Amino acid sequence: MTAPGTPDPDAGHPVNGLDEVVHQRARLGILTIAHEAHRVEFGYLRTHLELTAGNLSKHLSVLESAGLIEVEKGYEGRRGRTWITLTATGTTALANEIARLKQLIDRVETSNGQ
Amino acid sequence: MTTEPVSAGGDPRRLLSEVRSLAHRVRVDQRMTWVALLVLAGVTFVGIPFDWLGMTVRCRPDSSCEFARRGALYYWPPALLLAYAAIAVSYVRAARARGLGARVLPYVIAGAATTVVFTAAWVAAPLYFASHPESMQRLSYWWLVLDRLVSPWSMIGIALVVLARIERNIGLLLFTLAYLALVLLVLPMNEGWGLAGWGLQAQFAVPQAISGAVLLLGAVGFFTAARRRQR
Repeated sequence: MTAPGTPDPDAGHPVNGLDEVVHQRARLGILTIAHEAHRVEFGYLRTHLELTAGNLSKHLSVLESAGLIEVEKGYEGRRGRTWITLTATGTTALANEIARLKQLIDRVETSNGQ
Repeated sequence: MTTEPVSAGGDPRRLLSEVRSLAHRVRVDQRMTWVALLVLAGVTFVGIPFDWLGMTVRCRPDSSCEFARRGALYYWPPALLLAYAAIAVSYVRAARARGLGARVLPYVIAGAATTVVFTAAWVAAPLYFASHPESMQRLSYWWLVLDRLVSPWSMIGIALVVLARIERNIGLLLFTLAYLALVLLVLPMNEGWGLAGWGLQAQFAVPQAISGAVLLLGAVGFFTAARRRQR
């Protein structure tokens, strides 16, 4: 078992190197948005990933437990705001996941071409 | 909105396409291109009277003139630094209101660095030519282009290239390249432009007014495009 975000060096096929925590549509979306935005608010993620608040919270908990994101709660005026930031491990995990996805696509295209 | 858990994994092509589309969406939501151009247009227009009133002109009997653009030298460095600070604040506030962080810092650093370069060049050039007056007679066309490059109007363009890069904004990149071509190769920013009989101050004001108008038109264009996208 490898730490989240670290590809297994023994994995031959790209599928074996995919991280279960990251290789999930909504969680990949959260990491992508947090990476691009530097910092993202809960409401933005909920709207753009089309998730309910409960579902999004569950995905955030999984990512936070894996050390891929940091969650910061605060107030702006009277309104509660939750901000999500990608950790260094999260950045690496996202880069690895995208690299694996590209490898998978290359494999499929190579095998289709033969 | 869905209440079902989203299925794990999926077609890698589709996942990658979604990742790219989300990243693009965030970048578009972070942009405030029109504000940057509007502030820079404002700074350019306000700079015209400073250049006009602060310019010292000494004409000799042979009708050749010497001039020093002291007003521009004193106005532009603080004006540009204030402009970049204002742009940074508006980017951060707008992004925060949308629930995002802002990625404007590299642009502000580039803006501050280009301001230092232009100030140093404008201070150094008169000192050099005062001690090497003969070199003034041998100035080539490319020296004039280099002189325009280290002017505040071109430095605005150089910093805008950085903004286009961090926003991955092709529209802004094309606009900036056209703007740079204009202020470097077309408009005589360092020679003046106007009808015979116009004073030197008026001749220098014309290219500045044109560059300001181009930035203003850019601001209007990017504002309109942003409004259309929001609908």
